[in-house]
Amino acid sequence: MTSAPHRDDAIRATGLSKRFKTGRSYIEVLKSVDFDARHGDLTMVMGPSGSGKSTLVACLSGLLRPDEGQVQALDQDLWGLRTGKIDRFRLDHCGFIFQGFNLFSALTAVEQVTTVLKHTGLSKREARDRAVVSLEEVGLGHRLNQRPSELSGGEKQRVAIARALAKAPRLLFADEPTSALDGENGQIVIKLLQRAAKEHGAAVICVTHDPRLEAYADRIIHIEDGAILDDRRVTSGAHPAPHSHLIEA
Amino acid sequence: MSLALATLIYEWRRYLAAVIALAFSGLLILAQVGMFTGIVQAATATIDRSRAEIMVLPAKSESLINSGSNGLPRRLAPEMYLHPEVVQVASLDGSGGRWMNTPEAGEKQVTQWIQLDIVDPIPGAVTLPVDYPEEVRIALLEPFAAVIDRSAQARLGVTLNDKATINGKTVTIRAFLDGYPSINQPSVVVSRDTLRLLGMADVGEKVGPLMVQIKDPARAIQVRNDLNAVADGRYRAWTRQELAQANEGALMKEQIIGIMLGFSVFLGFLIGVGITSQTLRGAIMANIKEFASLRALGVSMGALRLIVLELSFWVGIVGLAATAVFTFLVSLLAKSAGLPMGFPIGWVIGVAILLLVISLASGLMSLGVLKKSQPADLLR
Ligand SMILES: Nc1ncnc2c1ncn2[C@@H]1O[C@H](COP(=O)(O)OP(=O)(O)OP(=O)(O)O)[C@@H](O)[C@H]1O
Ligand SMILES: [Mg+2]
Repeated sequence: MTSAPHRDDAIRATGLSKRFKTGRSYIEVLKSVDFDARHGDLTMVMGPSGSGKSTLVACLSGLLRPDEGQVQALDQDLWGLRTGKIDRFRLDHCGFIFQGFNLFSALTAVEQVTTVLKHTGLSKREARDRAVVSLEEVGLGHRLNQRPSELSGGEKQRVAIARALAKAPRLLFADEPTSALDGENGQIVIKLLQRAAKEHGAAVICVTHDPRLEAYADRIIHIEDGAILDDRRVTSGAHPAPHSHLIEA
Repeated sequence: MSLALATLIYEWRRYLAAVIALAFSGLLILAQVGMFTGIVQAATATIDRSRAEIMVLPAKSESLINSGSNGLPRRLAPEMYLHPEVVQVASLDGSGGRWMNTPEAGEKQVTQWIQLDIVDPIPGAVTLPVDYPEEVRIALLEPFAAVIDRSAQARLGVTLNDKATINGKTVTIRAFLDGYPSINQPSVVVSRDTLRLLGMADVGEKVGPLMVQIKDPARAIQVRNDLNAVADGRYRAWTRQELAQANEGALMKEQIIGIMLGFSVFLGFLIGVGITSQTLRGAIMANIKEFASLRALGVSMGALRLIVLELSFWVGIVGLAATAVFTFLVSLLAKSAGLPMGFPIGWVIGVAILLLVISLASGLMSLGVLKKSQPADLLR
């Protein structure tokens, strides 16, 4: 269940399967899933609890090796790479936003961001400048030197977003980024994700339960019991292509 | 600021156990070294603070500690003057003796073995320590006058102008010294003439080590070499520093002390590594999700390991600082109790290295916990 190859494809997975051992039996969490996502799109993955959404994202992003199937990410065979190369791929191209914020309690907002940037080979100065720009972009220009204990939940999630976006990732993965937040903060966060897609051309893949976020999606993929049930484009796409194609129903 | 350092500072309470464990490991060793060195330094204080830049010992002596009795021929002293830079030569004399105070009514009888040291109470004498007050020197001119360190009064059962006997001959306490406390045997200082009057001076063919003053203290090494060049196996000349180090080393080489110190190093290492590695593990576990999020963002496992090792390094540095503070406090305490401590630089460096090794070993041992930082676990 996937669309034909497209020039804006950022990620294209075919035949992804993943089983987990529970006790003596296996449960099949992904059942030969085909999936693709494009640059400039905010692709939303929705579905009931336990349907395999998080597992899908983990397989797409190089965090969890699928049992079967392939992932072409930015024209690389992701799971064909060596482990170190997968780390490097994520460092260079992937941003993550989780339900929890996972910020170091000892670090200020700027330091949260620079800690990651330092590993990309930027100098201290460049890292700091980029971190400040990134934090300003998420509206935290006035909170640069606050530690997590001094930030609200929404602010913390925005720091996490700034941390993910500062690397200018081509692929941005978000797993329930708003579920720990109230409606208003949830809106701020989803708008930031949308902007990452629209202004920076990232392929944003966002798992969510929240129907209120649907309005921001370019494309909504429903997954149930490890298989894609429904895939529909709700906008014309960020980059209206001349050879616009139909999505398989 | 690095992540490791920031974490250590911000969550310092979490690391307190490790820091204190390291500090006690260091203290365990340094306090003993300090005490033993203090004993040696106290025993040789009169020499260490004299004008003798050079000491001449029997050829086979390796230090002044437990080196047996006098072994230099008496005629050797005048021979030293053959070197043009030698100004003054005097033999070291003194011995052990039995001390008894003369208690007044209600006082306790004290019987005690003492170390009897001599000085020549002549201005500028090579045997006279440079920090002796003038009134002490003058007091010692009197026959049968003795001086003791102020802190030894209680142990010797005397105060100023009290009488006491040494090997049955009566002496009178005529002055007090400051800065000459002794941990084990109290030392009593008399003049060379008084020693003779007490019947305890060297009168035979053999005399004690020679104390040699030279024109220019800066040339001590050169003069020592010159003297040794013509020694012909009869003696060996040492610079004062050289001998002081040899004295400290000699005590540490005593078997029982060596065993005690070796055991302390072993124990300190075990306790230090045990507690520090557990502390580090706990600290990593507490931040495991944050580490996992760094992994997700592509920070390599190697980089995380480096962060942990850096953290353990800083814990070691802080532990080192705590050791310094603890040891300083203990040495103050000991000093106020009349037990001066000495800390040879070699031992201080050794303990510093040991603590860093302990903390880095702990860091290495806690690296395994990082495996729990599975970024996929953040996606659930
Ligand atoms: N490491 C694992 N070991 C065993 N079972 C697992 C593991 N990870 C996921 N599962 C199982 O796989 C199924 C799908 O999990 P997944 O986290 O992908 O669901 P989800 O769609 O993200 O659900 P939710 O909306 O509740 O987050 C669940 O039944 C879960 O119990
Ligand atoms: Mg999930």
